[in-house]
Amino acid sequence: MRSYYKYLFMAILAISCVSCKKYLDVTPDNVGTIDYAFRNRNEAENYLFTCYSTLQNMVYPQNNPGFTTSSEIIFPNDLSDYYGIDPVGFNLIRGSQSSQNVGLNYWNGYNGGQPVFVALRRCNIMLENINKPVDLTAGEKKRWIAEIKFLKAYYHFVLFRLYGAVPIIDVNLPINSSAEEVKVKRAPADSVVNYMVRLLDQATPDLPVIIQNQEKELGRITQPIALAVKAQILTTAASPLFNGNPDYVNIKNKDGQKLFSSSYVAGKWDKAAAATLAAITACEANGSALHKFIPPANVGTLSDSLKTVLDLQTTITEKWDLNTEVIWALNPYFPSQTYCFPRLTAKAAASPDLPGTFAVPISEQELFYTNKGVPINEDNTWDYANRYELRTGDDANRFYIGNGYETVKAHFNREPRFYSSIGFDGGIWFGNGLVNQENLYYIQDRGSSSFAGPTDNIRINITGYFPKKLVNYLSVYDEGYNMVNYRMPLIRLAGLYLQYAEALNEQGKPYAQVVPYLNKVRARAGLPGVVEAWSKYSKNPSKFTTQNGLRQIIHQETRIELAFESEPGWDLRRWKELQSVLSKPLQGWNIFESSSINYYRPRNLVIPVFNVRNYLWPIAADDLIVNGNLVQNLNW
Amino acid sequence: MLKIPYCILTAIAALTFVFIGLGSVNRAVAQTKVTVIGTVVDSLGMPVIGANIAPVNTKGNSTATDGNGKFVLDVAAGTILKISYVGFVSKEITVAANQKAIRIVLAETKSQFDDVIVTAYNRKQTREAVVGSVTTVKPGNLKIPASNLTNALAGQVAGVIAYTPSGQPGQDNAQFFIRGVTTFGYKQDPLILIDNVELTSNDLARLNVDDIESFSVLKDASATALYGARGGNGVILVKTKEGKAGKAQINFRLENSASQSVKTLDLADPITYMRLYNEATQTRDPLSPLLYSENKIINTQATINHAPGSNQYVYPAVDWINMLFKKRASTQRGNLSIQGGGGVARYYVAGSFSNDGGILKTDIRNNNNNNVNFKNYQLRSNVNINISDKTELIVRLSGTFNDYNGPLTSDGSLQTQLYNLASHTSPVDFPAYYPPDSANVHTQHILFGNVASASNGDGASKYLNPYAELLKGHQRYSESRMLAQLELNQNLDFVTQGLNFHAIMSTNRYAYFRSYLYYAPFYYSATNYDKTSNTYQLQWINNLPTGNNVAREYLAYSPLESLNSSFMYLQGVLDYSHTFAKNHNVSAALIGTEQQTINGNAGNSTLLTSLPFRNQTLAGRATYSFKSRYFLEFNFGYNGSERFSENHRFGFFPTIGGSWIVSDEKFWGDLYNVVDRFKLRASYGLVGNDAISNRRFFYVSDVNLNGGSPASFGLTNGYYRPGVSINNYENDDVTWETSKQINLGMEFTLLKKINVIAEVYKNNKDNILQNRASIPATMGLEAGIAANIGKVESKGIDISLDGKQYLGKDLSIQMRGNFTYSANKYTQFEQPDYKESYRFEVGQPVNRYYGLVAERLFVDDKEAANSPSQLFASGGVQPKGGDIKYRDLNRDGKIDYADVAFIGNPVIPQIVYGFGLSATYKNFDLSGFFQGQAKVSFFINPATTSPFVKSPETQYTGNTQLLKAYADDHWSEDNQNLYALYPRLGADANSIQNNLQTSTWWMRDGSFLRLKSVEFGYTMPKRIAKVLRVKNARIYFNGLNLLTWSPFKLWDPELGGNGFAYPIQKVFNLGINVNL
Repeated sequence: MRSYYKYLFMAILAISCVSCKKYLDVTPDNVGTIDYAFRNRNEAENYLFTCYSTLQNMVYPQNNPGFTTSSEIIFPNDLSDYYGIDPVGFNLIRGSQSSQNVGLNYWNGYNGGQPVFVALRRCNIMLENINKPVDLTAGEKKRWIAEIKFLKAYYHFVLFRLYGAVPIIDVNLPINSSAEEVKVKRAPADSVVNYMVRLLDQATPDLPVIIQNQEKELGRITQPIALAVKAQILTTAASPLFNGNPDYVNIKNKDGQKLFSSSYVAGKWDKAAAATLAAITACEANGSALHKFIPPANVGTLSDSLKTVLDLQTTITEKWDLNTEVIWALNPYFPSQTYCFPRLTAKAAASPDLPGTFAVPISEQELFYTNKGVPINEDNTWDYANRYELRTGDDANRFYIGNGYETVKAHFNREPRFYSSIGFDGGIWFGNGLVNQENLYYIQDRGSSSFAGPTDNIRINITGYFPKKLVNYLSVYDEGYNMVNYRMPLIRLAGLYLQYAEALNEQGKPYAQVVPYLNKVRARAGLPGVVEAWSKYSKNPSKFTTQNGLRQIIHQETRIELAFESEPGWDLRRWKELQSVLSKPLQGWNIFESSSINYYRPRNLVIPVFNVRNYLWPIAADDLIVNGNLVQNLNW
Repeated sequence: MLKIPYCILTAIAALTFVFIGLGSVNRAVAQTKVTVIGTVVDSLGMPVIGANIAPVNTKGNSTATDGNGKFVLDVAAGTILKISYVGFVSKEITVAANQKAIRIVLAETKSQFDDVIVTAYNRKQTREAVVGSVTTVKPGNLKIPASNLTNALAGQVAGVIAYTPSGQPGQDNAQFFIRGVTTFGYKQDPLILIDNVELTSNDLARLNVDDIESFSVLKDASATALYGARGGNGVILVKTKEGKAGKAQINFRLENSASQSVKTLDLADPITYMRLYNEATQTRDPLSPLLYSENKIINTQATINHAPGSNQYVYPAVDWINMLFKKRASTQRGNLSIQGGGGVARYYVAGSFSNDGGILKTDIRNNNNNNVNFKNYQLRSNVNINISDKTELIVRLSGTFNDYNGPLTSDGSLQTQLYNLASHTSPVDFPAYYPPDSANVHTQHILFGNVASASNGDGASKYLNPYAELLKGHQRYSESRMLAQLELNQNLDFVTQGLNFHAIMSTNRYAYFRSYLYYAPFYYSATNYDKTSNTYQLQWINNLPTGNNVAREYLAYSPLESLNSSFMYLQGVLDYSHTFAKNHNVSAALIGTEQQTINGNAGNSTLLTSLPFRNQTLAGRATYSFKSRYFLEFNFGYNGSERFSENHRFGFFPTIGGSWIVSDEKFWGDLYNVVDRFKLRASYGLVGNDAISNRRFFYVSDVNLNGGSPASFGLTNGYYRPGVSINNYENDDVTWETSKQINLGMEFTLLKKINVIAEVYKNNKDNILQNRASIPATMGLEAGIAANIGKVESKGIDISLDGKQYLGKDLSIQMRGNFTYSANKYTQFEQPDYKESYRFEVGQPVNRYYGLVAERLFVDDKEAANSPSQLFASGGVQPKGGDIKYRDLNRDGKIDYADVAFIGNPVIPQIVYGFGLSATYKNFDLSGFFQGQAKVSFFINPATTSPFVKSPETQYTGNTQLLKAYADDHWSEDNQNLYALYPRLGADANSIQNNLQTSTWWMRDGSFLRLKSVEFGYTMPKRIAKVLRVKNARIYFNGLNLLTWSPFKLWDPELGGNGFAYPIQKVFNLGINVNL
């Protein structure tokens, strides 16, 4: 009997397993948790890349407000197939923005926007854990910390450009923070600027001057990049949108704290100028110079005019390591060449994969100077009034316009940047497999039966103009296709020169100090200096002598030089000029007509909607409800 | 790691020792002298099945009566036999030496109250002793002509809310909730235990009713407490039959059913379709071109009329529903069971099959059978072995095997989309197929009709041809679960009187695989139609040799998921029961269980999902009763789940309950003549629910260290790192839902005939896991954070009643009915601080929808323009006259999502009821059962039902067909009815965006009453049966879902808003049941 007791006792004990508490501990010890991301250098580097990833995801032009709302591009909103482009960003100029459904929402990370606050949290996690990897050398650790600080500053800048005053995310709030703690407030715009500058100042000394191991590290942050971004931040902060903008006087936190300073501070331009000069100096010291075309072996003799066009066209498409002008670009390749590429051959026209839907409106085309280097409506040698009259391409213009092809006068006698940036009906296309200057393609896009004309409601360019600058001349689209990739620069030297000229002019410096920096850029574009050009050819020959006149010249020069690179869109915002630019209808040619007489009639395509409120993004209405401490931007 | 198997091994080893040790003793040898053949009957002369016959004064074999109340036992003369059965007064007889046949009449104890009730851990109790809320269902009541047990639950079980949202064989499980939905958390349905083992609702659905011995539903805390953290949503407890001693009894049943849709959609004819399509475009934009020309309409009419010179291929008028679906489908079911045994062992062996057909058509040109076909096979063997008179061993082996064949679906599910596809394809744009023309006389494939897509650069066709989708292939799956279970019952009287030990070891293995076979249809369109010669040419649309739209005559194969899992369960119960001083009864039990499930390759096979699912319980019960009149019961579950961090891993769930049989009191007196039995009971306690989320371990951060957010650097971006992403943040605080339940019950018998059980309950569920709503984007979290915040309060009433009346010798009538009402509301729910008070969930029922409040249709364009703006998409279109006018609840001058309020009743019924009558006259029996639901709303989905508009579900590329009801009653310029069924037409979603919002306009009352089943049977008279050497034979005809009364007419209301789903089936069934 006694033995039964024992067995029984054992059975009960074993089955109820009161002693076996470990039975329920089913998670093994080595389940990958966030700690594992910092166990060693290798894993930590992976996390560093994660911090970079949000930045690299910003490569899509359709998601960049600087690209989609700049008036440089129209994207149709009634295609039967958008071919992978979410039109939400392009629709913003049609008035689609609302606080209920925010387009290009970088605050929450949807509708085309990237989740910037997620990126900031990652950066802070990296900084919290940077001491953990045992095999990370002190030097590398310093560099990584500097890179993360740079990224934090840049991510704040992404938000700053959209929202102005934003909460500063310097450290992460714990996951179990109370509902009140997580309700952060917006910090005043000036504080955000100071914070970003402080981070960059801390980061810069620990960053490499140049990337030694380009094979593996090209694209990582360097000192010149940090300096250039700092200059860009300070310039933005000094610009009219944020420097004493009277519109924003009443945007205050709920406790009454003003989010935008209401008085203009001239000293902000001094800081911007100093920072830009410092960036230029650092870049030039490390070999930066304006880019010139590096002809490959198969390219034969080139006329001067074509050579200048190629200098300009390859400024952004040249490989980064060969391109002395690029200070910073995103590593992912520009993904949208097929939307910019006209169909040049019969085989390309028959293929379904070349939508060519990024269309340049006439106003953008007309921004470009004449070949004398002055605006088309100022040039006393250029027939502005009759620019839509027809004219046939001739031998003299054969490097620009198809010889014998009928087009309009407006396309003649323009500056080389016009021919390098804009693809137009009759425009010569150096490339697409042809590099013999006497035998080149030219664009034909009048009517549905032309190669580049509208094929259906998917492959259609609704203005007749293509952003040629965004296509690598080496890319070929014929029967099959071979896209030769390039990386879109974020900052290049020409932009810094123009920015410096702008800052000097805003400081009130005399034009003689300002124009040398403009002239560097103009010279590479094959144009005479500002003083010479205006004095000789402009109907307003003394324009450059006044601060205001010179400002107009600088702004236009910037919009031309950096066209389609997204910066002009941001510049128009910080200058508070976008509203007037978007106050006129955006026009294109009568693309379905095949005869030139009918084709060259401007049609209104988009009547843009842009009010004062559109300068800044709305905070999503839901966020205002979730976080009662947030206040909305003007008029949303 | 090694400790886990160690635990199990120790348990098994210990069990084995106990069982071997005990098995070798007490082997009594009876001296056989007399063979007693007895019959046990009740006071009405009906056989008592399963009565226990055991010798009292000597050791010897015991037995039980068979299905006819008979038993055979060899005993020594002079043995006193005790005949006992729950619900009857026990009787003792002495066996005389010459006694051969005995007829024993057992008197019933007081009333039918004394049924046996199976409660937690398969404990059998008389009803009077039950303190908790337990509903038992006679298995026979669950017998309906459907191959799915869950379909029978609605209206049969007081306290169960159930409805069936689809009629497709194999996919027609009912949704069911005990006492309604009591949480908004992850798991809302009950714990299902079949022979003590946790299984899924699918396993329950496949269970053969003939194999069920008892079916109990445990509803309150007292009844479910022993299941601790798993019982919070109630428990369904099923026990399968065990063999009974006696001669082999064979029972077989054959059924053959024909099923057809309860209701098919009424669509407008093709001509009306075209005319109204034109109206829809014109009414929105008078300048827009007409899609269907007068010429097309006239020619299509000619096709319909079969006019001479008409051409049904050039001007098609296709009735897609008819093209795709048969009127009827047939189902066969059969089962066979054999049971019997002697004193040493008893067996129950059963096998069954069912073969459910679907209503899809097949085509003679295609042997690739795509019709829905669902086959189920089962084998079950329960063997009880008496190792000694103190030790019983039970072996249960069962297997369930399902084979499914059905059409392909584009979303990868098993629910066929063909009904949806047929109702989302224009009847006039292309024919189902073309007859071969002269160019195609030798073509081997079917020439399916279609239209080339706008660009057709890639050989794409514009639509899906439903007929091609039907024929192009099929999918099949095969599923099996095999279960082996060993149970030991050990009487430990030798330790102390009244002590018993039960142990179970159970394991089952599940396997499932699925695959597709399909070809790619060839699409053609007719061109160059020459009216005079009535000829056309076929143009091949998908004619490209490469790309995404290649046509293919031969079949391709693609394997899909293959799942397998293994399950292991151990249970030990120590049970004690003792009566002292005659009137005092105490009992106690201690229960330990351990359960583990491991998934082989469950869909998302990450490390965390591969880890075993485990839980562990130590539960206990103590009861005390006095004079079988006062009962007190205490239960607890101490339950551990692997899901939670160590500080929350174990939970303690106590309950207390009591009952009082008032009618036994002296003061009841003469009331006895009216109410001969009256019992009150009450319970209060806690139960939990650990299935709070599909996420496994909240206390472990779930980080993908090798993917998520990559970056690359270098000259050619060659240095790539995949990045790190966070799927879950470590959160130690997450724990189970707890529900505090109070239950008050009343049971009484009226006039000795009508039994009534009525209960009211209140259930406060708190700690419901909810995603935090207060975390702003600025936190930068990559994954949501959840916390045990939510609270739901539910209360309700369950009433059941049944009665039986004999009217003379040959006629008896039985009636039963039950009623379940369950209402609930959020009492805590985290939401942002809305300005509008009507947007808060707190106070609202779970599963109540929210939407705009529709007032009426706009009178005209002018009124629409002057009303608060109603724009629902950026760049949306302003509404016009005849569009729905919404109420501006917050009076801010615009209708937007802040004007959305809670509307209607919840979409899960709050009231489910059923009632039925059955009558037996001589050899005939007739029964009918009605079932209904009430206090429920559903919403017609305007986006998928609006005519001419493409469904937002991208798999349906065609234009939605026109419901006849919409054609007859919509707002138009000629019929400016402000309350028309359908608002102003529109031919694209953009133009009618306003009308597509969820609103009261589309809200419908989902209540209905159905004649759920009717059965007419004839039992063969005994004398004929005798001649045929059959014990009993019955032939019956029954029907399911025969009549429905509902205020909603467009489709079957039980489908809810999902009107284009596979319809609920009406079944006519002929069956025969024979006992040998």
